Amino acid sequence: MSAVQVRPTRAGDLPLLRRWLPPGADLALPPPGARRDAWLVAARATGNQPLACLRLRRAIGLDVPRHWYHVGWVVHAAPELGLFHRLQTLQLGNDLCGASELADIAWQPGLDAAAQAAVLAPLLDAALQALRDAPALAGADDLLIAELPGLPGPRPGTGHTPFWQGLARPFYGGDPAAAAQRFGPAWRSHVATLMPRQPVYSAFLHASAQAAVGQPHPGVAVLAGLLRRAGLRQGSHIRIDDGGPVYTAPLDALFPADPATAIPPDTLPDDPPAP
Amino acid sequence: MTSAPPDDPTRWLLRPAVPRDLPALEALAHASAIGISSLPADRDALRQLLALSAKAFAGDDAASGEEAYLFVLEDLAQGGALVGTSGIAAAAGFHDRFYSYRNEFIVQASAELGARSRIHTLHLCHDLTGVSLLTGFHIDASVAHTLAPQLLSRGRLLFIAQFADRFSDRIAAENPGLSNDQGACPFWDGVGRRFFDMDYPAAERLGGGRMHKGWMAGLMPQSPIYVPLLPDSAQWALGQLQPVAELPFNILMDEGLDGDTYLNLYDGGPTADGRVALLKTVVRRRALQAVPGAAALPGPRWQLVDNGQQAGFRAMLLPRPPGHADRLVLPPAAAQALGWLPGEALWGAALDTPPAWQDATDGSTAA
Repeated sequence: MSAVQVRPTRAGDLPLLRRWLPPGADLALPPPGARRDAWLVAARATGNQPLACLRLRRAIGLDVPRHWYHVGWVVHAAPELGLFHRLQTLQLGNDLCGASELADIAWQPGLDAAAQAAVLAPLLDAALQALRDAPALAGADDLLIAELPGLPGPRPGTGHTPFWQGLARPFYGGDPAAAAQRFGPAWRSHVATLMPRQPVYSAFLHASAQAAVGQPHPGVAVLAGLLRRAGLRQGSHIRIDDGGPVYTAPLDALFPADPATAIPPDTLPDDPPAP
Repeated sequence: MTSAPPDDPTRWLLRPAVPRDLPALEALAHASAIGISSLPADRDALRQLLALSAKAFAGDDAASGEEAYLFVLEDLAQGGALVGTSGIAAAAGFHDRFYSYRNEFIVQASAELGARSRIHTLHLCHDLTGVSLLTGFHIDASVAHTLAPQLLSRGRLLFIAQFADRFSDRIAAENPGLSNDQGACPFWDGVGRRFFDMDYPAAERLGGGRMHKGWMAGLMPQSPIYVPLLPDSAQWALGQLQPVAELPFNILMDEGLDGDTYLNLYDGGPTADGRVALLKTVVRRRALQAVPGAAALPGPRWQLVDNGQQAGFRAMLLPRPPGHADRLVLPPAAAQALGWLPGEALWGAALDTPPAWQDATDGSTAA
């Protein structure tokens, strides 16, 4: 049985983390002494092999802009005819720039739900504590966000999710996975310049794309639960590529870590799969 | 005039509709198809339309913009039987706003991705509010291949040119978009249905034929519609004409109207628009020196001739003799039809020699 410890990511972890993270993910280690960002791994106390990772970013999108769709509603009504329609709209914007972010959350494939919770909970607690302890940062908002991946398409890993096919593809015919691979984390900003600037009625999208708005990938249910336990809630924004939800919380609304609900480390498998 | 040969263009007379035209107009209205007619099939509504038209033609005070003029086309060879009708609304969207979609194209580019996209969008707009509207073109299919439709459509422009202060300096004309016999309409299915949850004929019934009232447009998306997001069938229907509308549309295109900028909100049909002063018939209209005389031998060249009167407006087709473009020898039958007496003024506008636009007359009936 192994206990879990949280520590900064090291160069030696990168080959393993590269396999977990999606194409184009940021693999740069924060500079020594960095007070703005942190990249953490949860690792076995014995052996030190990472089981999960999480990057804490502060004041995001203030150098390269970040984009999300705001999911809103408009009501079209003709009361004299008994017609009343509440219609969902998607508005491209940079609403969450300036927030802090729990990003690049990934874990060793094959962990069951209990094991995921066992490695992610201390990682999340450590990131939130680091955020509380961090000095004030110019331009940073008092908001924390965490993006979750959206519903996958029939060919996982290609980026051709139902949401992408329904909304993004008519505006950019290129391969999203290739763009991510080529441009790294900035790829969404480049793609955003081609996306619709005016509100889009979800009703115009294919049914599968409508159904994907704000729906998380089924594989992140444990993570979503832990985010809720920390005080984050699904907000009004979604990712621009796959429609995945963005969880948000004001910093002063985050719950402190509760040792009573800590997940025992013996839920981890004894022998991690070979990298 | 009852002895006119079957294809003699002088048999047609355009004049203001009068109350006694009600039964004939009712018959024409019932012959129109779903979603096309702006001529109400309801007798009381028609009677009201006739009363409005009579008031408009009789108006001697300053125009308010509310006027709706209704013209009818008589077949003088058939005892004045009505074979068509057309109209003018002095100001589109009077008392409200006139809604259209305006075609616009947005170009977005990403230098990093090396990608550039030209996106077709539809913008809900009120651009055409207040412009004069050519309305309700209906013609008997049996005469659609003759010059009668030319008189029925272009004759309105003679009236507008004569009484320019009663109209806007810009005109527009709606044209029906694609729909089938059951009223199914691909543009509506791709756009309007998502906001009304009903098919096109049901929405039109709900609107009581008032599809351009603000409350109905208020249910439609207010922000631009990105055309690439629409179903293919709706994209293909953009700006496409109902086949029965090709004849009147082609006449307006020949006049110089633009049919590519505006669309009908509900069926995606093109709404043509143009500046009155630039229209072919308006540019060509000039005073004639008319003298009584024998009928000229019909040739290939024809002109629209009107008497320039308001309540007593009359227009017809007469031969255009070579040379002496401003001189018109008027046979007694034509003089009688136009209500012309020696010494009075007449105006004429040359028609192009067929068959450029006449070939487009393929039996179409209404728009």
